[in-house]
Amino acid sequence: MRRIIYHPKYSNYDLGPEHPFSPLRVEMVIDLLKELNVPFNYIEPEIVSPDLLTQIHNKEYVDLVEAVSKGEEIPNYSDFGLGTADNPIVKGMAEGARYLAGGALLGAKLLIEGKANKVLQLGGGFHHAHKKLAAGFCLYNDLALAIKAMTNAGWHVAYLDIDVHHGDGVQEIFYTDDKVMTISIHESGEFLFPGTGWVYELGSGMGRSLKLNLPLEPFTEGDSYLEVINKAVEPALAYFKPDALVVQTGADAHFADPLADLMLTTHDYEKIYRRIFELADENCKGRALFTLGGGYCPRATSRIWTILYFIFNNIPLPEKLPDTWRKHWEKRLNKPFPETLHDQLPAFDPIPRKEEVVKHNKDVVQRLMDAVAPDWL
Amino acid sequence: MLIREVMHPDPITISPDTPLCDAYKLMQEKGIRHLPVVENDKLVGIVTDRDLRLATSRLAKTPFDPSDKVKEIMSHPVETTSPSDPVEIATQLMRELKIGCLPVMEDQKLVGIVTSADLLDAMLRLTGVYRPSGRLDLSLSNKPGELARLATILAKRNINIHSILTYPENNNKIRVVLRISTMEIRTLAKELCNSGFEVLWPPHILCVE
Repeated sequence: MRRIIYHPKYSNYDLGPEHPFSPLRVEMVIDLLKELNVPFNYIEPEIVSPDLLTQIHNKEYVDLVEAVSKGEEIPNYSDFGLGTADNPIVKGMAEGARYLAGGALLGAKLLIEGKANKVLQLGGGFHHAHKKLAAGFCLYNDLALAIKAMTNAGWHVAYLDIDVHHGDGVQEIFYTDDKVMTISIHESGEFLFPGTGWVYELGSGMGRSLKLNLPLEPFTEGDSYLEVINKAVEPALAYFKPDALVVQTGADAHFADPLADLMLTTHDYEKIYRRIFELADENCKGRALFTLGGGYCPRATSRIWTILYFIFNNIPLPEKLPDTWRKHWEKRLNKPFPETLHDQLPAFDPIPRKEEVVKHNKDVVQRLMDAVAPDWL
Repeated sequence: MLIREVMHPDPITISPDTPLCDAYKLMQEKGIRHLPVVENDKLVGIVTDRDLRLATSRLAKTPFDPSDKVKEIMSHPVETTSPSDPVEIATQLMRELKIGCLPVMEDQKLVGIVTSADLLDAMLRLTGVYRPSGRLDLSLSNKPGELARLATILAKRNINIHSILTYPENNNKIRVVLRISTMEIRTLAKELCNSGFEVLWPPHILCVE
């Protein structure tokens, strides 16, 4: 059973017209599905209460976020990462974030109760939200809330984060937890926000060797990326044997993304998504919850998540983009759109450092496997 | 950053008459490498795990016995620092003398200890890497107002600075490394480049979009 979760109020999480984390990206996907005559039936989640969020976040933090979101003047908001360019204070943002958290939580419940085997939540993926710190466009950690609901039901959960940025918030929240494995594949923190996600961050206490990081070299391409999944993620899941997979499907590793430097094409994303579904089938009876995430080139992000939607629903991918959709969004974004759902190949000039990049990524996998080997008996 | 912010207060101490084996055991138990030696509330020496191992090694000409006393092998007089010293001064002293720790003294009383590991922690704090942040590396002209110009651009974009480190380069330039709280470091780098700053990191920034 496959279920889609969505709520029109997700778009209340809008950090301003100039902000990259725009609700337009999901609007574009939904609009495209409509133009392609694909059924879009979804379940609407209920909003979660601020109280419930204290399962994950510090109460002082939740109280402050709720207060500033209502327009109250609180002097020490900057102690919690708020009021910056990345995390501006916008009226109503907390409510939007709580609807999104509700969606992830509903996804977890559907899986736990056996009412669904796969859930796609069309939003969320706030992996930079820490216990008491807003960061990287994120306020409330919807992923952690969903994972916590699953571990409370006695499950072991593997969290896979393919967003181009390190999933630091989720990792921090479950750093000592032996019921949660986190795997983050991202562009190296040497170059990119948030500056963490090194191989040596392996978890502590009971959670040791269950927090896995694969910091990839800038300009990593799809073949190297898939090799990393096969050589690291596959054995990790085979070792951990989770009851469910939670996947943050950020689309910002695309070559056109303005915030980062990985070089995936839509074709690579198709392969990656299909591989993740296979891994879920092989390791946890197909049980998986997918959320969205980063992705800041709307022209690419909307196509990538549409591909995810099609694969999720087991529908063959269309080749062409409908003209009406293309023209409408070309006009609204004032940018030319491709005619096809997939990128035209070759999508970019050959990367001069390719050999070096591939070698670096192989080394990263090897170092990680060596580091966890003593614990993975 | 001052020593009082990075030191370990109330360090574990021993007396000059402590046997070497007891000192060794204490280091093992507490996971430490340095023991200040105190007599009548006065710091009289210091002993490190290396001192103990060398003194009792079978390779030594006349190895000490485990029951020998600490006062026979301890280093003295002891180089010390004070809580109000800046960390860079203490670091300089430790590098110059090639030693791994400094007892911290106030009113002739031992109030703390600072080791090379503490100074590495201080470096982590100084660079701001402990907070989610991106890294921006610039080469500035060595003239007044450049840093202000840079800070103004960041302020206009409402970007918080976690840390600024600077050091001189050879060609009359000043290297500035910032850790800043933004995901949009590439667009920022582009703007800086267009405003005449030399951006070294993130790499491959072209000025005009």
